[in-house]
Amino acid sequence: MPSERVLRAIAGVLALAGIGVATYITVVEAGGSAPQCLAGGHGCETVANSHYSHLAGVNVAVFGIVGYVLLVGSALAGGDVARIAGFAIALVGFGFSAYLTYLELFVIDAICQWCVASAVLMTLLLVVNALRALDYVGSELMNPPVRTDEL
Amino acid sequence: MDRRQARQITSGVVFLAVCAIAVLIVVSQAGGGSGGDTDLEDVDLVRQQLRGIPQRGTVLGDPKADVKFVEYGDLQCPICKDFSVQEAPGLIAQVVRRGTASYDFRPWTVIGPSPHTQSTLAAKAALAASQQDHYWNYVELFYRNQGAEESGYVTEPFLTAIAKGAGVTDIARWNRDRHSKRWDELLSRTDSEAASLDFAGTPSFLVEGPAGRRTLTVPTLDDIEGAIREVE
Repeated sequence: MPSERVLRAIAGVLALAGIGVATYITVVEAGGSAPQCLAGGHGCETVANSHYSHLAGVNVAVFGIVGYVLLVGSALAGGDVARIAGFAIALVGFGFSAYLTYLELFVIDAICQWCVASAVLMTLLLVVNALRALDYVGSELMNPPVRTDEL
Repeated sequence: MDRRQARQITSGVVFLAVCAIAVLIVVSQAGGGSGGDTDLEDVDLVRQQLRGIPQRGTVLGDPKADVKFVEYGDLQCPICKDFSVQEAPGLIAQVVRRGTASYDFRPWTVIGPSPHTQSTLAAKAALAASQQDHYWNYVELFYRNQGAEESGYVTEPFLTAIAKGAGVTDIARWNRDRHSKRWDELLSRTDSEAASLDFAGTPSFLVEGPAGRRTLTVPTLDDIEGAIREVE
């Protein structure tokens, strides 16, 4: 099992990559155009034009940025609150990404590579944060910090 | 925090996370437009109305007919819908089907703030159906299922449902064709034509024949037949 330090580093890197993807989609959409699919095709444009690309009038990518920023924060912070919060945020992000992927496949009939990239990142973040929560919540109690006066 | 407490908190967190996902999904679904519905009406009626009449591009009927009847309409326009439902069936049955005139529907996107996003989406979806000779089925079925203008009903599911109901068989190709740059040129050209004809709104009509041309605004079938006789 990787150490918590390694898990936090991985989570931080993944969340930063997620911020990059979500920011790209948000900036392009704010400029009045649609994200470009790197492999060609118009899936990204079709998905961006779909009403599902907005939640209560706000681009879902903005919610993505907020989620990834919180995940970076949970990766940087130590302690049980950060571990559980990281897991909770990643779980919500994963669930909503799964729903959006379902919409792409079965409702919109188009795939946006950027959305898929974000869904993959969120899935990996859920795995990493779940491992961190399962293995390290309460670990301070079981392995209390060594007091210098005990040495 | 001990292990037991941690498990209890984690269970609570999972429950809250599932609730949050459910709320997000409900809000997302509620963001759909009001109006147009993917549970389509009049699919068979439109099919019967157009059955056996040739379609080529945006033109219904014999493209070599002496008289050309051209409509400049916006798929979101409710008055265009009224014309489509009340006058067009008679026009198609009595004039177009008999070969007296061809009927060209040119999408003139005017509704909503520029660049008329919803009307343009609808127009391009119809034009893409022309690549599979189902443009007219698309236009007529769209009107029969039209929602309130600019209400947000022109969504991917709605456009796709219309395509399927209109008989577009290759949906993947239709999706690709919708993004063709040629439609931007065509829409821009239609806009220029309408301006040069001094049309002020949708629907507007042009009747062209060997004896000249007439322009009409929201005509009845009698008006159209009268104009056709004048230009024949």
